[in-house]
Amino acid sequence: MTILPQDHSRRSFLYRELESAGAEFEEINGAAVAMRLGGDAAAEAAQARSLGLCDLSGLPRTGFKGWNMATWLTGQGAEMVTESNIVTPQSDGTRIARLAPGEALLLGDDHGASALIENTDAAWSMETSDGCFQVPRAETNFWLTLSGTHTPALFAKICAVDLRPEAAPPHRVVQTNVARLNAIIIRRYIAEVPVFDLLSDVASAVYLWRALLDAMEEFDGKPIGLTALRTLR
Amino acid sequence: MPMERLKEPMGSRIDRTERVSFRFEGQQYSGYRGDTIASALYANGVTTLSRSFKYHRPRGVLSMCGQDSNAMVQIGAKPNRLADRILIEADLDVMGQNYWGSLEKDRLAMLRHLGRFMPVGFYYKAFYKPRWMWPLWAKLIRRVAGLGVVSLDTPHGYYDKEYLFTDVTVIGAGPAGLAAALEAADAGAEVLLVDENAELGGALAYARFDGAGEAAEKTRADLIAKVEAHARIRVMTDATCTGWYADNWLPLIKDNRLYKLRAGALVVASGCYEQPLIFHNNDLPGIMLGSAAQRLIKLYGIKPGNRAVVAAANQDGYGVALDLLDAGVEVACVVDVRADPPEEDMSAALMRRHVPILAGATLREAVPSAGGRGVRAIKIARLESETKSAARYDSFACDLIAMSGSYVPAAALLHQAGGRVSFAADNGSFSVHDLPEQLSAAGSVAGTNTLENVLSEGAAAGRRAAGEAGFTVSGDSAASAAPEEAPGAWPIIAHAKGKDFVDFDEDLQIHDIENALSEGYQHIQLLKRFTTNGMGPSQGRHATLPAIRLAARRTGAGLDETGSTTSRPPIGPLTMAHLAGRSFEPVRYTAMHYRHVELCAKMMPAGAWMRPEYYGDARSRADNITAEAKNVRENVGMIDVSTLGGLEVRGPDAAEFLNRMYTFAYLKQPVGRARYVLMTDDAGVIVDDGVACRLADDHFYVTATTSGVDGVYRTMLWYNVQWRLKVDITHVSASYAGVNIAGPNSREVVEKLCDDVDLSPEAFPYMGARRGHVAGIPALFLRVGFVGELGYELHVPASQGEALWDALMEAGKDADIRPFGVEAQRLLRLEKGHIIISQDTDGLSTPHEADMAWAISRKKPYYVGMRSVAIQEAGGLKRKMVGFELANDAASTPKECHLVIRGSTITGRVTSIVRSPTLGKVIGLAYVAPDQAELGTVIEIKTDSGQMVRAEVVKLPFYDPDGARQEM
Repeated sequence: MTILPQDHSRRSFLYRELESAGAEFEEINGAAVAMRLGGDAAAEAAQARSLGLCDLSGLPRTGFKGWNMATWLTGQGAEMVTESNIVTPQSDGTRIARLAPGEALLLGDDHGASALIENTDAAWSMETSDGCFQVPRAETNFWLTLSGTHTPALFAKICAVDLRPEAAPPHRVVQTNVARLNAIIIRRYIAEVPVFDLLSDVASAVYLWRALLDAMEEFDGKPIGLTALRTLR
Repeated sequence: MPMERLKEPMGSRIDRTERVSFRFEGQQYSGYRGDTIASALYANGVTTLSRSFKYHRPRGVLSMCGQDSNAMVQIGAKPNRLADRILIEADLDVMGQNYWGSLEKDRLAMLRHLGRFMPVGFYYKAFYKPRWMWPLWAKLIRRVAGLGVVSLDTPHGYYDKEYLFTDVTVIGAGPAGLAAALEAADAGAEVLLVDENAELGGALAYARFDGAGEAAEKTRADLIAKVEAHARIRVMTDATCTGWYADNWLPLIKDNRLYKLRAGALVVASGCYEQPLIFHNNDLPGIMLGSAAQRLIKLYGIKPGNRAVVAAANQDGYGVALDLLDAGVEVACVVDVRADPPEEDMSAALMRRHVPILAGATLREAVPSAGGRGVRAIKIARLESETKSAARYDSFACDLIAMSGSYVPAAALLHQAGGRVSFAADNGSFSVHDLPEQLSAAGSVAGTNTLENVLSEGAAAGRRAAGEAGFTVSGDSAASAAPEEAPGAWPIIAHAKGKDFVDFDEDLQIHDIENALSEGYQHIQLLKRFTTNGMGPSQGRHATLPAIRLAARRTGAGLDETGSTTSRPPIGPLTMAHLAGRSFEPVRYTAMHYRHVELCAKMMPAGAWMRPEYYGDARSRADNITAEAKNVRENVGMIDVSTLGGLEVRGPDAAEFLNRMYTFAYLKQPVGRARYVLMTDDAGVIVDDGVACRLADDHFYVTATTSGVDGVYRTMLWYNVQWRLKVDITHVSASYAGVNIAGPNSREVVEKLCDDVDLSPEAFPYMGARRGHVAGIPALFLRVGFVGELGYELHVPASQGEALWDALMEAGKDADIRPFGVEAQRLLRLEKGHIIISQDTDGLSTPHEADMAWAISRKKPYYVGMRSVAIQEAGGLKRKMVGFELANDAASTPKECHLVIRGSTITGRVTSIVRSPTLGKVIGLAYVAPDQAELGTVIEIKTDSGQMVRAEVVKLPFYDPDGARQEM
């Protein structure tokens, strides 16, 4: 059912940008998520394969850090590699990006579901999680995806790290600078279409959104809704 | 009338189906799509492009490839554009440069008669006294000199940058570069092939390598077909590499974009610069490099003259003569500076076509046509040595002189990478040494000119580069080398009448260089700086080696011993716009940003954040601020404090950690209480403040200043690594939105939205901290009072900040709540006597100076800066912060940073000052001398009008000294 972002107290910092692009919203995870950008659905799906920018800020994510992070999180059923800057997919669709030996970022799937995130957030407390501390990633960072064949060329305009397929394989995490903002970039593929998750300072969301759209113009890139992203599967 | 172009295949760059009109010097001209400004003008019979820098001599085509300053023109607001590289476009408005009047009739052309009064360095010697004359001279010199006109109204353009990564990069797509790219790509490397020209092939596109004139095109077509078919080769034409930096980091300019390229291995095949000959009037329009004449013919289909004389120092000059003949130009003769040129197929072809070859001769003097805008004859003399020609000469009528002198490598990239070019003393040959790993040179830049050798050397460099980039290569990485032709003589013979130009950019003649050498400027670097030889726009491409040879001749040293000048990036012209690129200026918005905008807030930057300065019409700024402050004092106001820094300090050692980081004591701070924090650095200087809220025994939420929090966070991490305490620090500034709702009616508003926190003063006293919900939103409640009224600071998840704002505005509607901005907050806190870090403190302020000694715990063993603070205290104060107020009849009101002056001594400065609507007088904070800090002392402040204003030191705070209002 189509809703208004202002109907919910949780709001993406980008909802006005999306509204002005003609977005239609649906509730996921207690927030309004832009599902369609108002145009032709098939064209929007094609846009996702070419170059699309999608706001996932309403979807679940969390973070944990501290000297006891890995022990506590694996105790909750999470699986992680020991190497930093690698993503480990979980059986419920959650992805865990290990940012450092003592820090992890958990991202839910694009349906807004993640039992692991729900369970860990519920289980965590200062009293019971000695040396593992919750990080409010859902509040600290906005979450975008850039999808399509032009994504490496786009990143070449705004990021100094080599994100060509041969240099950044799937599940690689890159903690770097994008258009002068600290950012976390995660590379993945959805049915062979390159997709990058981009998380950065929530207060700078509007700035980066506009900077990305400006950089995307060369490739005829446009914002897309979550529905178009899901069609990649 | 435009001349008829040569038939195809001549004119490979032009599209004869489309004509393009443009303006030059206000006149309308037309050319073909693909023409440069210079080629289109040449085809229209216009051979003068600009005037020279010093003597204002007419100048025309020299290199026809953007390597000289003759072709610099003004295009609209852009000066110094290269007419032989810029393509014509419809309505392009082009003007010549360096004249006063018109290009045709330049009033400053008379300067050529004053040459003997303007030797090199004359301005160093002529204008330094009397000193009062210098501004007049400077004005005149600036009027006369200069390169084009800078327009302050230049419109903004869209420029950006892009990062590139390749296994192998090849700079230069001539035969060596093409061969290198193919070989490296065949080995599996991803190759980027870069060339500054529009087409691939380098010299193969215009030069002649055999008598029949077939070898170049056949080789070019074959190589290009292979390159274009190769999946691993990316070609970038019309792109210039402007420098070499460590680890093969290369800036490339193409169109409006600066590419930042990182190459695994690099092959430089950048070619070489053909050199002009030096003789009297060698700068006249119609005198050009042989390769320039070939470019006009092959690339643009232009017959460069009717009757030509070709000067040659190598076989390439013979190729030029053959190309001119093929283009229908009569070649009067070929003048070969070599006494005994070898016989080969191009000289044989020339002889078959009955062109006289004058061996062992040189050009002595070009005879100008009327007005000096062309050439009508050339005088040729026998060479007796490299420094002397015979007195007798022969004169040949001609309107074109093509010069194929020796070559200088385009080795700037190699120099910047640490490479060295050595010149043989006996001829013009050179070789490249000392290149770093992952860098190879191939082709004429490395002194290899024979086509067969160039291809072999290019392929070898490509194999080597692929290997260096980590690919398995087979075959030898050394080139097979057939014998190279030894370069010929390089005569430099001064003419009695001068105007024998060594450096066209700066109008430097042989005697200018020789005079400088006579004056003792014999080191090549000194010679360059004193004469400015090689310092012009063409950066010595044609001038450096002649100057080195003149210096070597004077000193008797060899060329290598004489040395060369350095070559720094950028190699070619580079606009500021390319360096700047697209502007990335991050800006941070709070969750409530658009609510402020909707309420007509005047937004102001606070670090990267945007904050409301005040709300309402700018014309009523002061009234708006006063009204906002009054509403807080008398009713209820709300300010967005989301920009405040926020840090979570968690772990068993959290209290110990804060106890060490801040000056106050935190070990015994009760849970549910907030306490002021003051941070000093190692030198005991105040760097930040805020409050620490103890949420659990092992959990503090610490606020920091908006602009200081990043530094505080870094400092905390740095110390935490050293102290190894069991504590974690998390930067959560952006995670929480915050508002401060303040005023005597604030409790009434918050109570409407909160049912899980007892807001009564007994249950939730001043400096208390609670967790609960506001309008259903989880919130941290702090009872702090920066503005000095009953108030609540509410911190909620950032995503719900806007909803919190909306709920409070709605709940406060009956109470007539109104938002207040940063300016009202500054006013209110000053009434309360609170300092703002970095406004009321500076890089030297100490706690005792700032009257903050109350925030120092003397019972703990350590905090950062403790020893320094103790030393400061023992040493006594040098200044002290005080509150002051002005008498209501003060003549004028000082501003922040106005000085406190006693007699002739500056004793301090004002840090904050405001007219308080609450108190009805002007109040402020200032640093004063310690003996001026006594209450009742009268200080004097000098305003910007020069008036001295008297103020009285008073007790702080100015407002509600008992704190009753904030503790309601």
